[in-house]
Amino acid sequence: MRKVVVTGLGFITCIGNDQATVSENLRELRHGIELYPPFQKEGMPVKVAAPVKEFNTESKNPEDWNFPSQYKMRLETLRGLAPQGLYAYCALTQAVEDAGLSEEEVSNLQTGLHTASAGSPGTMYHHLKRMFKVGVMRCSPMGMVSSIAGTLNFSLVASFKIKGSSAGFVSACASSGHAMGFAYDEIVLNRQDRMLVVGAEDGDIVSILPFAGMRALSPSEDPDKASRPFDKDRDGFVVTGGSVAVILEEEGIARKRGARIYSELLGWGQASDGHHVVIPHPEGAGVEAAMHNALKAVGVSTEAVDYVNAHAPSTWHGDLAEAIALKNVFGVNNNGPAISSTKALTGHGLSFGSILEASLCIIAINEGFTPGSAHIETTDPVTKGLNILLETREKAPEIVLSNSSGFGGSNVTLVFKKYPG
Amino acid sequence: MPTVVKKEPTLSPEIEADLRESLKRCSPGTMEAVLSYRNTGDTRAIPAVVMGIIERFLEPENRPKLKHAGNDVLLVEDLGLDSLLMVEIIILVEETLDISIPNEEMRELRTVNDLKEFIDCKVKGIKPPYKPRHLSVQDIAAFMPHQDPFLFVQEATLYEDECEGLYEIRGDEFFLEGHFKGKPIFPASLMIEALGQLAVLQLLKSKRPEIENLIDPQKVYFASCDGVRCHKVCVPGDSLTLKTKLKRIRFPLASFEGRIMAGSEKVAFAEDITLAFDYAK
Repeated sequence: MRKVVVTGLGFITCIGNDQATVSENLRELRHGIELYPPFQKEGMPVKVAAPVKEFNTESKNPEDWNFPSQYKMRLETLRGLAPQGLYAYCALTQAVEDAGLSEEEVSNLQTGLHTASAGSPGTMYHHLKRMFKVGVMRCSPMGMVSSIAGTLNFSLVASFKIKGSSAGFVSACASSGHAMGFAYDEIVLNRQDRMLVVGAEDGDIVSILPFAGMRALSPSEDPDKASRPFDKDRDGFVVTGGSVAVILEEEGIARKRGARIYSELLGWGQASDGHHVVIPHPEGAGVEAAMHNALKAVGVSTEAVDYVNAHAPSTWHGDLAEAIALKNVFGVNNNGPAISSTKALTGHGLSFGSILEASLCIIAINEGFTPGSAHIETTDPVTKGLNILLETREKAPEIVLSNSSGFGGSNVTLVFKKYPG
Repeated sequence: MPTVVKKEPTLSPEIEADLRESLKRCSPGTMEAVLSYRNTGDTRAIPAVVMGIIERFLEPENRPKLKHAGNDVLLVEDLGLDSLLMVEIIILVEETLDISIPNEEMRELRTVNDLKEFIDCKVKGIKPPYKPRHLSVQDIAAFMPHQDPFLFVQEATLYEDECEGLYEIRGDEFFLEGHFKGKPIFPASLMIEALGQLAVLQLLKSKRPEIENLIDPQKVYFASCDGVRCHKVCVPGDSLTLKTKLKRIRFPLASFEGRIMAGSEKVAFAEDITLAFDYAK
């Protein structure tokens, strides 16, 4: 069977806009959460968020934006973007460069693109407001394409001249996990040799606030403690925007061109809760089944797993359900895999959360450490018997699971393996 | 031609502020030109407005082309504009000049000068000059009821009330095998057919006010033909230039004059070709 390896990474995240910075912050457990300026006023139910740094995308006119000068793009490209489109463009540019791919290696029939983004409600709102004010024929023709869920595909296929398969995935917080899982399938099924996978979210005020209405966000005013998965006093998640891009290649093709290989994507599995539109199954039935399906698919036993990057978003129900699922899969004798949720550092990336966490697993495997679960003061008793890692362990995991769960009880588990050599 | 049109004497500070915001990425001269036009109605300021707005939407490397290449520079081919950028340009022109431009009128605009002239006419409320429109063989085959091997118009250019078409006699047309055996000559009856087809094309694409509804392409038929004279025999390799000129449309009939040339030589002439047509239900 064809093997799939990771050969490139790109980051525009709240904990760094390059791999070295992200890696250092991950190892040192330094978070990217802050008192978010637009929230510091009366009547705002949330105070913290985890925005990307060095970018200013506040204006609804992309030509007003500020971003690092190393990223060059045509005005034509820029004008068709919402903020997450810009982050995705930058992350993918970085990943392509990191993988050492030429323009021809990106633009050919054997290279495809999978993306995940929920769209930019703020950009959509701006354009619709204008439509009702000045009339539909005086609205930017790019308003809709820049802000709907498929926008990353549209803009990246055009700007990177993608000729292979392309698709976008919409399964809420499991979206970019699906994007990566099905990208794996494309390569294994011999449909493509190389897949670019990109997840991105706007993470502006309009994309964050509705989650407060659902009572899902942490009302905390302390950025150092707001996101604390598996803590018994956790009180909701913190939203982050940004983008991560990952380059997947068939092993033989990657080796032939002398690519540096970060790790192997062994495979994946998924399952659904069949339970509620937003509330996770109380015993995490779907995420448990996803982990079992993933392990079965790749032929790895539960004992062989060294580390699980949990979805655990720091919500009461979410962390609880996943803890129960983890106990059902790995037992309660404290001898299971190390478990942590890196959402303590990054907050929750929504549609791009899964690829963000997968990329952190890849860094950990490649750089020889296992990141801890930050900000826990009192571990939730429900995790008793699980090996929740509180501090970074200076040892590379061999086999890693990365879990992601989305609204509707959609669960994806990705399996990565340390690449020999 | 008047250079001053009637406008509200001064802009409200509110509208002026909106305009400044909308034009903030245009050269300073653009805003001055807009103010000059909006405050005094002086249409001489309009070219500067249009140029300023086009420039604002160009990629930086294409901006010098606009400045130096003159009025005949092509919007798409030379300046890299696409149809969506044209829409953005038109939207901004509409907003700054307080006019309204229907989409279908924009399609024939190919050069910077076309656009300037078109907007100048819009502002003055006069009819913009008619722009000839070229149709390729694919364009023609897409809407004509006639199809290969019985389509005798390979290219066409539509003028306001005239139409010019082209047919090159290839030599492998099926009827040349027998007309005449061993001595292929393009039949005179098919010359009239070719003119009839060009008349159908012109009728279907015509925007004349006499045509009140959409014409059904399946319901246009040859009705009559008068005053036909043939002057020259045509053979494979000859290139026929077909011309039709609209004489009159009165539902359900449309009459044309037709002529065919081969280079500078007269080939055929028809004083009157009349088509009968019906509207789509």
